[in-house]
Amino acid sequence: MNGLNLIDDQEKFRHGMEIFLNPPDFSVGKTPSEIIFQEDKMKLIHYIPTVEKPHPVPILIVYALVNRYYILDLQPDKSMIKKLLDEGFDVYVIDWGYPSGVDRYLTLDDYVNGYINNAVDKIRERSRLDKITLLGVCQGGTFSVMYAALHPEKVKNLVALVAPVDFDTDKGLLHLWAKSLDVDKIVDYYGIVPGDFLNAGFLLTDPFRLMIDKYVGLFDRIECEPNDTACSIRNEETIKNFLRMEKWIFDSPDQAGETFRQFMKDCYQKNLLIKNEMKLNGKKINLKNINMPLLNVMAEFDHLVPNDASKPLTEAVSSSDKETLVFPTGHIGIFVGSKSQKEVCPRIAEWLKPRSHVDGTNEKKPDLAKKKTHEQKRKNRKSKVNIK
Amino acid sequence: MRDPDRLGMEKSSFESTQEFFDMWLKVYNATTGRLVEMPALGPTREKSDKMMKGFSTFANLFAAGMDTSSNLQSVFMEAMRKVHEKTATDMEGEISPEKCKDFYKIWIETYSETFKDFLKSGHFASDMGKLNSYLMDFQKYNREMLEENYLKSMNLPTKTEIDEINKELYSLKKTVKELTSQIKELKEKK
Repeated sequence: MNGLNLIDDQEKFRHGMEIFLNPPDFSVGKTPSEIIFQEDKMKLIHYIPTVEKPHPVPILIVYALVNRYYILDLQPDKSMIKKLLDEGFDVYVIDWGYPSGVDRYLTLDDYVNGYINNAVDKIRERSRLDKITLLGVCQGGTFSVMYAALHPEKVKNLVALVAPVDFDTDKGLLHLWAKSLDVDKIVDYYGIVPGDFLNAGFLLTDPFRLMIDKYVGLFDRIECEPNDTACSIRNEETIKNFLRMEKWIFDSPDQAGETFRQFMKDCYQKNLLIKNEMKLNGKKINLKNINMPLLNVMAEFDHLVPNDASKPLTEAVSSSDKETLVFPTGHIGIFVGSKSQKEVCPRIAEWLKPRSHVDGTNEKKPDLAKKKTHEQKRKNRKSKVNIK
Repeated sequence: MRDPDRLGMEKSSFESTQEFFDMWLKVYNATTGRLVEMPALGPTREKSDKMMKGFSTFANLFAAGMDTSSNLQSVFMEAMRKVHEKTATDMEGEISPEKCKDFYKIWIETYSETFKDFLKSGHFASDMGKLNSYLMDFQKYNREMLEENYLKSMNLPTKTEIDEINKELYSLKKTVKELTSQIKELKEKK
Protein backbone atom coordinates (compact mmCIF):
# COMPACT_ATOMS: atom_id res chain seq x y z
CA MET A 1 0.00 0.00 0.00
CA ASN A 2 2.77 2.39 1.00
CA GLY A 3 4.77 1.52 -2.08
CA LEU A 4 1.69 2.07 -4.26
CA ASN A 5 1.17 5.55 -2.77
CA LEU A 6 4.76 6.42 -3.46
CA ILE A 7 4.38 5.29 -7.09
CA ASP A 8 1.14 7.28 -7.35
CA ASP A 9 2.88 10.44 -6.11
CA GLN A 10 5.73 9.90 -8.54
CA GLU A 11 3.22 9.43 -11.37
CA LYS A 12 1.47 12.67 -10.44
CA PHE A 13 4.79 14.47 -10.43
CA ARG A 14 5.77 12.95 -13.79
CA HIS A 15 2.44 13.91 -15.39
CA GLY A 16 2.69 17.42 -13.99
CA MET A 17 6.26 17.85 -15.16
CA GLU A 18 5.34 16.65 -18.65
CA ILE A 19 2.84 19.49 -18.90
CA PHE A 20 5.43 21.99 -17.63
CA LEU A 21 8.00 20.72 -20.15
CA ASN A 22 5.59 21.43 -23.02
CA PRO A 23 4.53 24.86 -21.76
CA PRO A 24 0.78 25.26 -22.23
CA ASP A 25 -0.79 28.50 -23.40
CA PHE A 26 -1.91 30.21 -20.20
CA SER A 27 -2.60 33.62 -21.65
CA VAL A 28 -5.03 35.85 -19.77
CA GLY A 29 -7.61 38.50 -20.67
CA LYS A 30 -8.97 36.80 -23.80
CA THR A 31 -12.36 38.52 -23.92
CA PRO A 32 -12.44 40.61 -27.15
CA SER A 33 -11.82 44.28 -26.47
CA GLU A 34 -10.58 47.53 -27.97
CA ILE A 35 -8.68 50.49 -26.56
CA ILE A 36 -10.85 53.55 -27.03
CA PHE A 37 -8.87 56.15 -25.11
CA GLN A 38 -5.38 56.59 -23.76
CA GLU A 39 -3.86 59.19 -21.48
CA ASP A 40 -0.23 58.81 -20.45
CA LYS A 41 -0.03 55.15 -19.35
CA MET A 42 -3.74 54.80 -18.60
CA LYS A 43 -5.79 52.96 -21.21
CA LEU A 44 -9.57 52.80 -21.36
CA ILE A 45 -10.60 49.38 -22.61
CA HIS A 46 -14.03 48.70 -24.09
CA TYR A 47 -15.22 45.09 -24.23
CA ILE A 48 -17.17 44.13 -27.31
CA PRO A 49 -20.77 43.54 -26.19
CA THR A 50 -22.04 40.02 -26.63
CA VAL A 51 -25.70 40.97 -26.91
CA GLU A 52 -27.29 42.93 -29.71
CA LYS A 53 -28.79 45.58 -27.45
CA PRO A 54 -26.89 46.03 -24.17
CA HIS A 55 -28.47 47.74 -21.16
CA PRO A 56 -28.24 51.46 -21.88
CA VAL A 57 -26.11 52.53 -18.90
CA PRO A 58 -22.51 51.36 -19.36
CA ILE A 59 -20.30 50.09 -16.55
CA LEU A 60 -16.80 51.42 -15.91
CA ILE A 61 -14.67 49.05 -13.84
CA VAL A 62 -11.94 50.78 -11.84
CA TYR A 63 -9.32 48.33 -10.66
CA ALA A 64 -6.62 48.86 -8.01
CA LEU A 65 -3.14 50.19 -8.76
CA VAL A 66 -1.78 47.05 -7.11
CA ASN A 67 -1.67 44.04 -9.47
CA ARG A 68 -3.52 44.04 -12.79
CA TYR A 69 -7.13 44.33 -13.88
CA TYR A 70 -7.11 41.04 -15.82
CA ILE A 71 -7.94 39.08 -12.66
CA LEU A 72 -11.47 40.06 -13.71
CA ASP A 73 -10.93 38.30 -17.04
CA LEU A 74 -8.49 35.56 -16.11
CA GLN A 75 -9.90 32.87 -18.38
CA PRO A 76 -13.22 32.41 -20.18
CA ASP A 77 -14.82 30.34 -17.40
CA LYS A 78 -13.44 32.61 -14.67
CA SER A 79 -14.23 36.02 -16.05
CA MET A 80 -16.34 38.56 -14.24
CA ILE A 81 -16.15 40.75 -17.33
CA LYS A 82 -17.42 38.02 -19.66
CA LYS A 83 -20.21 37.25 -17.23
CA LEU A 84 -21.29 40.90 -17.14
CA LEU A 85 -21.17 41.04 -20.96
CA ASP A 86 -23.29 37.88 -21.16
CA GLU A 87 -25.75 39.49 -18.75
CA GLY A 88 -26.17 42.22 -21.34
CA PHE A 89 -23.97 45.03 -20.03
CA ASP A 90 -21.69 47.38 -21.91
CA VAL A 91 -18.39 47.09 -20.02
CA TYR A 92 -15.32 49.33 -19.85
CA VAL A 93 -12.18 48.83 -17.76
CA ILE A 94 -9.34 51.16 -16.83
CA ASP A 95 -5.90 49.65 -17.35
CA TRP A 96 -3.47 51.71 -15.26
CA GLY A 97 -0.39 50.32 -17.01
CA TYR A 98 3.04 50.15 -15.43
CA PRO A 99 4.14 53.47 -13.87
CA SER A 100 7.81 54.33 -14.29
CA GLY A 101 10.13 57.05 -12.96
CA VAL A 102 8.35 59.73 -14.95
CA ASP A 103 5.12 58.98 -13.03
CA ARG A 104 6.56 59.32 -9.54
CA TYR A 105 4.93 62.71 -8.92
CA LEU A 106 1.43 61.63 -9.99
CA THR A 107 -0.95 62.34 -7.13
CA LEU A 108 -4.14 60.72 -5.94
CA ASP A 109 -5.88 63.77 -7.36
CA ASP A 110 -4.38 63.00 -10.80
CA TYR A 111 -5.78 59.49 -10.63
CA VAL A 112 -9.26 60.37 -9.32
CA ASN A 113 -9.98 63.79 -10.79
CA GLY A 114 -7.71 63.27 -13.78
CA TYR A 115 -7.63 59.76 -15.24
CA ILE A 116 -10.90 58.40 -13.82
CA ASN A 117 -12.76 61.61 -14.61
CA ASN A 118 -11.48 61.65 -18.19
CA ALA A 119 -12.38 57.98 -18.65
CA VAL A 120 -15.88 58.66 -17.30
CA ASP A 121 -16.27 61.66 -19.61
CA LYS A 122 -15.14 59.58 -22.59
CA ILE A 123 -17.78 56.92 -21.83
CA ARG A 124 -20.47 59.56 -21.23
CA GLU A 125 -19.60 61.05 -24.59
CA ARG A 126 -19.75 57.67 -26.36
CA SER A 127 -22.98 56.58 -24.68
CA ARG A 128 -24.52 60.05 -24.85
CA LEU A 129 -25.51 59.81 -21.23
CA ASP A 130 -24.91 62.12 -18.27
CA LYS A 131 -24.29 59.31 -15.81
CA ILE A 132 -22.69 55.90 -15.91
CA THR A 133 -22.26 53.00 -13.49
CA LEU A 134 -18.99 52.86 -11.60
CA LEU A 135 -17.78 49.47 -10.36
CA GLY A 136 -14.69 49.87 -8.19
CA VAL A 137 -12.61 46.91 -7.14
CA CYS A 138 -10.43 46.85 -4.00
CA GLN A 139 -8.30 50.04 -3.97
CA GLY A 140 -10.08 50.93 -7.22
CA GLY A 141 -13.27 50.77 -5.15
CA THR A 142 -11.86 53.33 -2.73
CA PHE A 143 -10.95 55.54 -5.71
CA SER A 144 -14.48 55.08 -7.09
CA VAL A 145 -15.98 56.09 -3.73
CA MET A 146 -13.81 59.23 -3.75
CA TYR A 147 -14.85 59.94 -7.34
CA ALA A 148 -18.56 59.39 -6.68
CA ALA A 149 -18.38 61.78 -3.70
CA LEU A 150 -16.65 64.45 -5.79
CA HIS A 151 -18.66 63.98 -9.02
CA PRO A 152 -22.06 62.55 -8.03
CA GLU A 153 -23.63 64.15 -11.10
CA LYS A 154 -21.73 61.71 -13.33
CA VAL A 155 -22.41 58.47 -11.45
CA LYS A 156 -25.72 56.64 -11.92
CA ASN A 157 -24.88 53.63 -9.74
CA LEU A 158 -21.92 52.81 -7.54
CA VAL A 159 -20.78 49.25 -6.93
CA ALA A 160 -17.97 48.87 -4.40
CA LEU A 161 -16.40 45.43 -4.58
CA VAL A 162 -14.16 44.51 -1.60
CA ALA A 163 -13.35 48.20 -1.25
CA PRO A 164 -11.81 49.54 1.97
CA VAL A 165 -13.09 52.88 3.28
CA ASP A 166 -12.65 52.60 7.04
CA PHE A 167 -9.00 51.77 7.63
CA ASP A 168 -9.10 51.85 11.42
CA THR A 169 -9.28 48.11 11.94
CA ASP A 170 -6.74 45.63 13.21
CA LYS A 171 -8.44 42.64 11.61
CA GLY A 172 -6.28 42.64 8.47
CA LEU A 173 -2.51 42.33 8.79
CA LEU A 174 -1.93 44.99 6.15
CA HIS A 175 -3.97 47.48 8.17
CA LEU A 176 -1.95 46.63 11.25
CA TRP A 177 1.45 46.84 9.60
CA ALA A 178 0.69 49.97 7.58
CA LYS A 179 0.38 52.01 10.77
CA SER A 180 4.04 51.39 11.65
CA LEU A 181 5.47 52.14 8.21
CA ASP A 182 7.50 55.29 7.67
CA VAL A 183 5.83 56.03 4.35
CA ASP A 184 7.80 59.25 3.75
CA LYS A 185 11.11 57.44 3.93
CA ILE A 186 9.90 54.73 1.55
CA VAL A 187 8.62 57.19 -1.04
CA ASP A 188 11.57 59.55 -0.67
CA TYR A 189 14.00 56.72 -1.30
CA TYR A 190 12.22 54.76 -4.03
CA GLY A 191 10.25 57.49 -5.76
CA ILE A 192 8.36 54.80 -7.60
CA VAL A 193 7.51 52.21 -4.95
CA PRO A 194 8.44 48.77 -6.33
CA GLY A 195 5.64 46.27 -6.84
CA ASP A 196 7.94 43.64 -5.35
CA PHE A 197 8.09 45.63 -2.11
CA LEU A 198 4.30 45.45 -1.81
CA ASN A 199 4.26 41.82 -2.92
CA ALA A 200 6.65 40.95 -0.10
CA GLY A 201 4.05 42.38 2.29
CA PHE A 202 1.24 40.31 0.74
CA LEU A 203 3.33 37.12 0.90
CA LEU A 204 4.19 37.83 4.51
CA THR A 205 0.52 37.64 5.48
CA ASP A 206 0.78 33.83 5.30
CA PRO A 207 4.36 32.99 4.34
CA PHE A 208 4.32 29.20 4.69
CA ARG A 209 1.10 28.64 2.77
CA LEU A 210 1.89 31.15 0.04
CA MET A 211 5.55 30.34 -0.48
CA ILE A 212 5.72 26.58 0.23
CA ASP A 213 2.39 24.79 0.55
CA LYS A 214 0.93 26.27 -2.62
CA TYR A 215 3.69 24.69 -4.72
CA VAL A 216 3.80 21.42 -2.78
CA GLY A 217 0.06 20.97 -3.28
CA LEU A 218 0.16 21.64 -7.02
CA PHE A 219 0.97 18.09 -8.16
CA ASP A 220 -1.47 16.60 -5.65
CA ARG A 221 -4.27 17.79 -7.90
CA ILE A 222 -2.95 15.88 -10.91
CA GLU A 223 -5.01 12.81 -11.87
CA CYS A 224 -3.35 9.72 -13.27
CA GLU A 225 -5.68 7.71 -15.47
CA PRO A 226 -3.61 6.09 -18.22
CA ASN A 227 -4.84 6.65 -21.78
CA ASP A 228 -7.69 8.89 -20.60
CA THR A 229 -7.86 11.98 -22.81
CA ALA A 230 -10.42 13.76 -20.60
CA CYS A 231 -8.12 13.29 -17.62
CA SER A 232 -5.13 14.73 -19.56
CA ILE A 233 -7.22 17.75 -20.51
CA ARG A 234 -8.26 18.26 -16.87
CA ASN A 235 -4.62 18.01 -15.79
CA GLU A 236 -3.54 20.57 -18.34
CA GLU A 237 -6.33 22.88 -17.19
CA THR A 238 -5.20 22.46 -13.56
CA ILE A 239 -1.67 23.54 -14.47
CA LYS A 240 -2.91 26.35 -16.72
CA ASN A 241 -5.20 27.72 -13.98
CA PHE A 242 -2.31 27.61 -11.54
CA LEU A 243 0.03 29.40 -13.94
CA ARG A 244 -2.55 32.09 -14.72
CA MET A 245 -2.94 32.86 -11.02
CA GLU A 246 0.82 32.73 -10.55
CA LYS A 247 1.28 35.21 -13.40
CA TRP A 248 -1.32 37.57 -11.94
CA ILE A 249 0.04 37.43 -8.39
CA PHE A 250 3.56 38.38 -9.44
CA ASP A 251 2.59 40.81 -12.18
CA SER A 252 2.80 43.74 -9.80
CA PRO A 253 3.19 47.23 -11.24
CA ASP A 254 5.27 49.75 -9.32
CA GLN A 255 3.35 52.52 -7.54
CA ALA A 256 3.48 56.24 -8.26
CA GLY A 257 5.24 57.53 -5.13
CA GLU A 258 3.12 60.57 -4.31
CA THR A 259 -0.11 58.61 -4.75
CA PHE A 260 1.23 55.86 -2.51
CA ARG A 261 2.24 58.47 0.06
CA GLN A 262 -1.18 60.09 0.29
CA PHE A 263 -3.12 56.83 0.13
CA MET A 264 -1.07 55.25 2.91
CA LYS A 265 -0.97 58.31 5.16
CA ASP A 266 -4.49 59.68 4.68
CA CYS A 267 -6.26 56.35 4.47
CA TYR A 268 -4.30 53.65 6.30
CA GLN A 269 -2.64 55.83 8.94
CA LYS A 270 -5.03 58.76 9.57
CA ASN A 271 -8.25 57.12 8.32
CA LEU A 272 -9.48 60.44 6.93
CA LEU A 273 -11.82 59.13 4.21
CA ILE A 274 -14.54 57.73 6.44
CA LYS A 275 -14.34 60.84 8.65
CA ASN A 276 -15.07 63.03 5.60
CA GLU A 277 -11.79 64.82 6.24
CA MET A 278 -9.74 63.65 3.28
CA LYS A 279 -8.88 66.20 0.63
CA LEU A 280 -7.92 65.90 -3.02
CA ASN A 281 -6.29 68.99 -4.45
CA GLY A 282 -7.69 70.99 -1.53
CA LYS A 283 -11.24 69.76 -2.02
CA LYS A 284 -12.81 67.81 0.84
CA ILE A 285 -14.31 64.41 0.06
CA ASN A 286 -17.71 64.21 1.74
CA LEU A 287 -19.15 60.70 1.51
CA LYS A 288 -22.60 62.17 2.17
CA ASN A 289 -22.44 63.50 -1.39
CA ILE A 290 -22.88 59.91 -2.55
CA ASN A 291 -26.61 59.86 -3.19
CA MET A 292 -26.84 57.41 -6.09
CA PRO A 293 -27.81 53.72 -5.65
CA LEU A 294 -24.99 51.86 -3.90
CA LEU A 295 -24.15 48.18 -3.84
CA ASN A 296 -21.47 47.32 -1.30
CA VAL A 297 -20.07 43.83 -1.97
CA MET A 298 -17.72 42.02 0.42
CA ALA A 299 -16.00 38.68 0.85
CA GLU A 300 -16.58 37.18 4.29
CA PHE A 301 -13.09 35.66 4.58
CA ASP A 302 -11.22 38.56 3.03
CA HIS A 303 -7.75 38.64 4.64
CA LEU A 304 -6.61 41.77 2.80
CA VAL A 305 -9.70 43.99 3.06
CA PRO A 306 -11.58 42.87 6.19
CA ASN A 307 -15.35 43.41 6.22
CA ASP A 308 -14.89 45.98 9.01
CA ALA A 309 -13.06 48.15 6.48
CA SER A 310 -15.80 47.93 3.81
CA LYS A 311 -19.07 47.75 5.75
CA PRO A 312 -19.11 51.34 7.07
CA LEU A 313 -19.48 52.67 3.51
CA THR A 314 -23.14 51.69 3.43
CA GLU A 315 -23.88 53.85 6.48
CA ALA A 316 -21.59 56.70 5.46
CA VAL A 317 -23.42 57.61 2.24
CA SER A 318 -26.72 59.44 1.91
CA SER A 319 -28.16 57.14 -0.79
CA SER A 320 -31.63 55.88 0.02
CA ASP A 321 -31.24 52.95 -2.39
CA LYS A 322 -28.36 50.92 -0.94
CA GLU A 323 -27.58 47.29 -0.34
CA THR A 324 -24.80 45.24 1.22
CA LEU A 325 -23.90 41.76 0.00
CA VAL A 326 -21.46 39.43 1.77
CA PHE A 327 -20.32 36.24 0.03
CA PRO A 328 -18.67 33.35 1.88
CA THR A 329 -15.39 33.56 -0.03
CA GLY A 330 -12.01 35.31 0.07
CA HIS A 331 -10.49 38.43 -1.47
CA ILE A 332 -9.35 36.66 -4.65
CA GLY A 333 -12.06 34.00 -4.61
CA ILE A 334 -14.70 36.68 -5.12
CA PHE A 335 -13.28 37.27 -8.62
CA VAL A 336 -12.14 33.83 -9.67
CA GLY A 337 -13.71 31.29 -7.32
CA SER A 338 -16.57 29.06 -8.43
CA LYS A 339 -18.95 31.23 -6.37
CA SER A 340 -17.88 34.26 -8.36
CA GLN A 341 -19.42 33.00 -11.59
CA LYS A 342 -22.40 31.29 -10.01
CA GLU A 343 -23.37 33.79 -7.31
CA VAL A 344 -21.39 37.04 -7.19
CA CYS A 345 -21.68 38.15 -10.83
CA PRO A 346 -25.34 37.14 -11.21
CA ARG A 347 -26.27 39.01 -8.00
CA ILE A 348 -24.43 42.15 -9.12
CA ALA A 349 -26.10 41.90 -12.53
CA GLU A 350 -29.49 41.34 -10.93
CA TRP A 351 -29.02 44.48 -8.82
CA LEU A 352 -27.74 46.55 -11.73
CA LYS A 353 -30.27 45.60 -14.42
CA PRO A 354 -33.29 47.57 -13.13
CA ARG A 355 -30.94 50.49 -12.40
CA SER A 356 -29.32 50.52 -15.82
CA HIS A 357 -32.14 52.14 -17.74
CA VAL A 358 -32.13 55.68 -18.94
CA ASP A 359 -34.58 57.81 -17.04
CA GLY A 360 -35.36 61.42 -17.72
CA THR A 361 -32.47 62.67 -15.62
CA ASN A 362 -29.80 60.63 -17.34
CA GLU A 363 -30.10 61.90 -20.89
CA LYS A 364 -27.05 63.76 -21.95
CA LYS A 365 -27.68 67.46 -22.15
CA PRO A 366 -24.23 68.36 -23.45
CA ASP A 367 -25.21 66.67 -26.72
CA LEU A 368 -28.07 69.09 -27.11
CA ALA A 369 -25.65 71.84 -26.34
CA LYS A 370 -23.34 70.45 -29.01
CA LYS A 371 -26.23 70.34 -31.47
CA LYS A 372 -26.94 73.97 -30.66
CA THR A 373 -23.27 74.78 -31.09
CA HIS A 374 -23.26 73.12 -34.52
CA GLU A 375 -26.38 75.03 -35.53
CA GLN A 376 -24.89 78.25 -34.22
CA LYS A 377 -21.68 77.61 -36.16
CA ARG A 378 -23.68 76.89 -39.30
CA LYS A 379 -25.58 80.14 -38.81
CA ASN A 380 -22.34 82.01 -38.20
CA ARG A 381 -20.84 80.56 -41.37
CA LYS A 382 -23.97 81.54 -43.26
CA SER A 383 -23.87 85.03 -41.89
CA LYS A 384 -20.21 85.30 -42.82
CA VAL A 385 -21.06 84.23 -46.35
CA ASN A 386 -23.79 86.85 -46.38
CA ILE A 387 -21.37 89.54 -45.34
CA LYS A 388 -19.07 88.62 -48.13
CA MET B 1 13.33 14.79 16.98
CA ARG B 2 14.96 17.15 19.39
CA ASP B 3 14.96 16.98 23.14
CA PRO B 4 12.76 19.76 24.63
CA ASP B 5 15.39 20.40 27.26
CA ARG B 6 17.89 21.00 24.52
CA LEU B 7 15.42 23.36 22.82
CA GLY B 8 15.21 25.34 26.03
CA MET B 9 18.96 25.54 26.13
CA GLU B 10 19.12 26.76 22.53
CA LYS B 11 16.52 29.39 23.26
CA SER B 12 18.41 30.76 26.18
CA SER B 13 21.68 30.66 24.20
CA PHE B 14 20.02 32.76 21.49
CA GLU B 15 18.85 35.22 24.08
CA SER B 16 22.45 35.47 25.18
CA THR B 17 23.45 36.28 21.60
CA GLN B 18 20.89 39.06 21.58
CA GLU B 19 22.13 40.34 24.90
CA PHE B 20 25.63 40.35 23.44
CA PHE B 21 24.52 42.51 20.50
CA ASP B 22 22.59 44.87 22.75
CA MET B 23 25.72 45.27 24.81
CA TRP B 24 27.83 45.67 21.67
CA LEU B 25 25.52 48.47 20.48
CA LYS B 26 25.73 50.24 23.83
CA VAL B 27 29.53 50.03 23.78
CA TYR B 28 29.61 51.19 20.15
CA ASN B 29 27.40 54.20 20.96
CA ALA B 30 29.58 55.09 23.93
CA THR B 31 32.92 54.74 22.12
CA THR B 32 33.36 54.42 18.31
CA GLY B 33 29.92 55.89 17.75
CA ARG B 34 30.96 59.09 19.49
CA LEU B 35 34.18 59.23 17.51
CA VAL B 36 32.43 58.96 14.14
CA GLU B 37 29.83 61.56 15.18
CA MET B 38 32.64 64.04 15.93
CA PRO B 39 32.62 67.05 13.54
CA ALA B 40 35.21 66.61 10.77
CA LEU B 41 37.87 69.26 10.08
CA GLY B 42 39.93 70.41 7.09
CA PRO B 43 39.36 70.83 3.34
CA THR B 44 37.47 67.51 3.03
CA ARG B 45 35.34 68.33 6.07
CA GLU B 46 31.97 68.23 4.25
CA LYS B 47 32.64 64.91 2.53
CA SER B 48 34.13 63.28 5.61
CA ASP B 49 31.19 64.44 7.70
CA LYS B 50 28.72 62.83 5.31
CA MET B 51 30.76 59.63 5.06
CA MET B 52 31.08 59.28 8.82
CA LYS B 53 27.32 59.51 9.23
CA GLY B 54 27.12 56.21 7.35
CA PHE B 55 28.53 54.36 10.35
CA SER B 56 25.61 55.30 12.58
CA THR B 57 23.13 54.54 9.79
CA PHE B 58 24.67 51.10 9.41
CA ALA B 59 24.83 50.50 13.16
CA ASN B 60 21.12 51.31 13.49
CA LEU B 61 20.23 48.97 10.62
CA PHE B 62 22.44 46.23 12.02
CA ALA B 63 20.88 46.50 15.50
CA ALA B 64 17.32 46.50 14.11
CA GLY B 65 18.22 43.53 11.87
CA MET B 66 19.58 41.61 14.85
CA ASP B 67 16.43 42.39 16.82
CA THR B 68 14.19 41.15 14.03
CA SER B 69 16.17 37.99 13.34
CA SER B 70 16.28 37.24 17.06
CA ASN B 71 12.48 37.51 17.26
CA LEU B 72 12.03 35.40 14.14
CA GLN B 73 14.40 32.82 15.55
CA SER B 74 12.29 32.59 18.72
CA VAL B 75 9.14 32.04 16.67
CA PHE B 76 10.88 29.35 14.62
CA MET B 77 11.92 27.65 17.86
CA GLU B 78 8.38 27.89 19.23
CA ALA B 79 6.93 26.41 16.01
CA MET B 80 9.52 23.64 16.09
CA ARG B 81 8.64 22.87 19.71
CA LYS B 82 4.93 22.63 18.84
CA VAL B 83 5.63 20.33 15.89
CA HIS B 84 7.73 18.16 18.16
CA GLU B 85 4.90 17.96 20.69
CA LYS B 86 2.38 16.98 18.05
CA THR B 87 4.52 14.40 16.28
CA ALA B 88 6.73 12.90 18.98
CA THR B 89 4.78 9.64 19.34
CA ASP B 90 3.36 9.39 15.78
CA MET B 91 6.72 9.55 14.16
CA GLU B 92 8.14 6.58 16.01
CA GLY B 93 8.74 3.32 14.12
CA GLU B 94 9.06 2.76 10.39
CA ILE B 95 8.94 5.79 8.11
CA SER B 96 6.28 5.50 5.38
CA PRO B 97 5.07 7.91 2.67
CA GLU B 98 1.81 8.40 4.63
CA LYS B 99 3.78 9.32 7.72
CA CYS B 100 5.84 11.80 5.70
CA LYS B 101 2.65 13.35 4.32
CA ASP B 102 1.09 13.53 7.79
CA PHE B 103 4.25 15.08 9.14
CA TYR B 104 4.26 17.66 6.35
CA LYS B 105 0.60 18.53 7.09
CA ILE B 106 1.30 19.01 10.79
CA TRP B 107 4.48 20.95 10.03
CA ILE B 108 2.86 23.39 7.58
CA GLU B 109 -0.22 23.94 9.78
CA THR B 110 1.80 24.49 12.93
CA TYR B 111 4.36 26.80 11.35
CA SER B 112 1.66 28.73 9.52
CA GLU B 113 -0.47 29.25 12.65
CA THR B 114 2.47 30.07 14.93
CA PHE B 115 3.82 32.65 12.48
CA LYS B 116 0.38 34.14 11.92
CA ASP B 117 0.05 34.74 15.66
CA PHE B 118 3.44 36.41 15.69
CA LEU B 119 2.73 38.50 12.58
CA LYS B 120 -0.51 39.73 14.17
CA SER B 121 1.33 41.12 17.18
CA GLY B 122 1.90 44.84 17.48
CA HIS B 123 5.45 43.95 18.42
CA PHE B 124 6.17 42.56 14.94
CA ALA B 125 4.55 45.57 13.25
CA SER B 126 6.68 48.06 15.18
CA ASP B 127 9.85 45.97 14.68
CA MET B 128 9.27 45.73 10.92
CA GLY B 129 8.49 49.44 10.78
CA LYS B 130 11.74 50.23 12.54
CA LEU B 131 13.79 47.84 10.40
CA ASN B 132 12.27 49.24 7.23
CA SER B 133 12.91 52.80 8.32
CA TYR B 134 16.61 52.08 9.06
CA LEU B 135 16.91 50.18 5.78
CA MET B 136 15.58 53.18 3.87
CA ASP B 137 18.04 55.48 5.72
CA PHE B 138 20.89 53.15 4.84
CA GLN B 139 19.90 52.78 1.17
CA LYS B 140 19.43 56.52 0.85
CA TYR B 141 22.84 57.11 2.38
CA ASN B 142 24.45 54.61 -0.01
CA ARG B 143 22.87 56.30 -2.98
CA GLU B 144 23.97 59.73 -1.84
CA MET B 145 27.52 58.46 -1.42
CA LEU B 146 27.45 56.85 -4.86
CA GLU B 147 26.21 60.07 -6.41
CA GLU B 148 28.61 62.27 -4.48
CA ASN B 149 31.78 60.23 -4.80
CA TYR B 150 31.39 58.42 -8.10
CA LEU B 151 28.66 59.63 -10.46
CA LYS B 152 29.35 63.35 -9.98
CA SER B 153 33.12 62.93 -10.32
CA MET B 154 32.59 60.84 -13.48
CA ASN B 155 30.26 63.56 -14.79
CA LEU B 156 27.38 61.06 -15.03
CA PRO B 157 23.71 61.88 -14.38
CA THR B 158 22.46 61.13 -10.89
CA LYS B 159 19.08 59.87 -9.69
CA THR B 160 18.54 63.21 -7.95
CA GLU B 161 19.00 65.06 -11.24
CA ILE B 162 16.68 62.64 -13.07
CA ASP B 163 14.06 63.17 -10.35
CA GLU B 164 14.33 66.93 -10.85
CA ILE B 165 13.65 66.44 -14.57
CA ASN B 166 10.74 64.11 -13.79
CA LYS B 167 9.26 66.71 -11.47
CA GLU B 168 9.62 69.41 -14.10
CA LEU B 169 8.08 67.13 -16.74
CA TYR B 170 5.17 66.28 -14.47
CA SER B 171 4.49 69.93 -13.81
CA LEU B 172 4.68 70.80 -17.53
CA LYS B 173 2.38 67.94 -18.51
CA LYS B 174 -0.12 69.01 -15.89
CA THR B 175 -0.08 72.59 -17.18
CA VAL B 176 -0.55 71.38 -20.78
CA LYS B 177 -3.50 69.21 -19.72
CA GLU B 178 -5.13 72.09 -17.84
CA LEU B 179 -4.66 74.46 -20.77
CA THR B 180 -5.97 71.89 -23.26
CA SER B 181 -9.06 71.37 -21.14
CA GLN B 182 -9.61 75.14 -20.83
CA ILE B 183 -9.27 75.55 -24.61
CA LYS B 184 -11.80 72.72 -25.13
CA GLU B 185 -14.24 74.37 -22.72
CA LEU B 186 -13.88 77.74 -24.44
CA LYS B 187 -14.41 76.12 -27.86
CA GLU B 188 -17.57 74.41 -26.62
CA LYS B 189 -18.87 77.69 -25.19
CA LYS B 190 -18.44 79.48 -28.53
